Amino acid sequence: MDSTVAEQQRILASDWGGGKSPFGTSWSKFMMWIFIISDALTFAAFLITYGFMRGISPEWPKQTEVFNMVLITFMTFMLISSSAVMAMAVAAARASNPKLAVRFLALTIVGGLIFLGCQAFEWTHFIEEGATLTHNPWGVPQFAASFFVITGFHGFHVFSGVTILAIVALRAAMGKYSADGVENAGLYWHFVDVVWVFVFAFFYLL
Amino acid sequence: MAEHHDQHSITYKTYLMTWLWLLVLTGLALGLGYANIDERLKAFLLVCTTLAKILVIAAVFMHLRYERINLILITFAPLILAVILFSFTFPETLGSATHLIRVR
Repeated sequence: MDSTVAEQQRILASDWGGGKSPFGTSWSKFMMWIFIISDALTFAAFLITYGFMRGISPEWPKQTEVFNMVLITFMTFMLISSSAVMAMAVAAARASNPKLAVRFLALTIVGGLIFLGCQAFEWTHFIEEGATLTHNPWGVPQFAASFFVITGFHGFHVFSGVTILAIVALRAAMGKYSADGVENAGLYWHFVDVVWVFVFAFFYLL
Repeated sequence: MAEHHDQHSITYKTYLMTWLWLLVLTGLALGLGYANIDERLKAFLLVCTTLAKILVIAAVFMHLRYERINLILITFAPLILAVILFSFTFPETLGSATHLIRVR
């Protein structure tokens, strides 16, 4: 009898056992992962559509000549750095050091805001040069359309991320502090960074 | 507790090192963007640097290497589905789909 119970417990505790917490995480973290996975599919669809449109276009403008690559590289640097600082914020929160966590969170938010500022500058410049969703001076209309849709959707994610991080930082500063909350916000922020890695490589460099 | 603390100080250093590696990979990708090489080779190498970067971010920053194998595996679902979607749609561009596009 005892051995059957022990056997059942062993199965439930295994990775595929489907016990109380089959994925070994809190429900909130697991839900964040599910959200990230579905959101990744959205971006995958955008990038694949972009690949398809580029494939059927007779020519595609040379991005390194159209865009200010120094600015784009700086934006990439800001996002990667803020991601690293965010990871440190999670570590500080896990180590029960809310003051340090808030400081790291503030730095992450600053990084996100700088990124958004650069993007606003880039968009303004692009629009002033005559780019719209249906027309642009460099080539096929799909070039500017995919630029606006992909970077716009990503930029909106960065904006949401900054908002979420501001709420988390504010709550941590008020003492309403949960390491899980910081970690979940961090997962989302790293995901935004991951998406930018794809956009940087396939939209700006390829 | 002391052991716990040590673990965290190692972690900060790991994050710093990870950040540096990510910057190196970004520099590499940037170099590839300007390199005057075959487009297909460039695409392949850019896919490699991108995959390396996302794996590093997921494993270290998102703590995926400390998660259970089933959670790690479901996070690969979008990537696998994206490869399937890409391999079904992209070959179409080699055929007669060019009428779908309007040149200025």
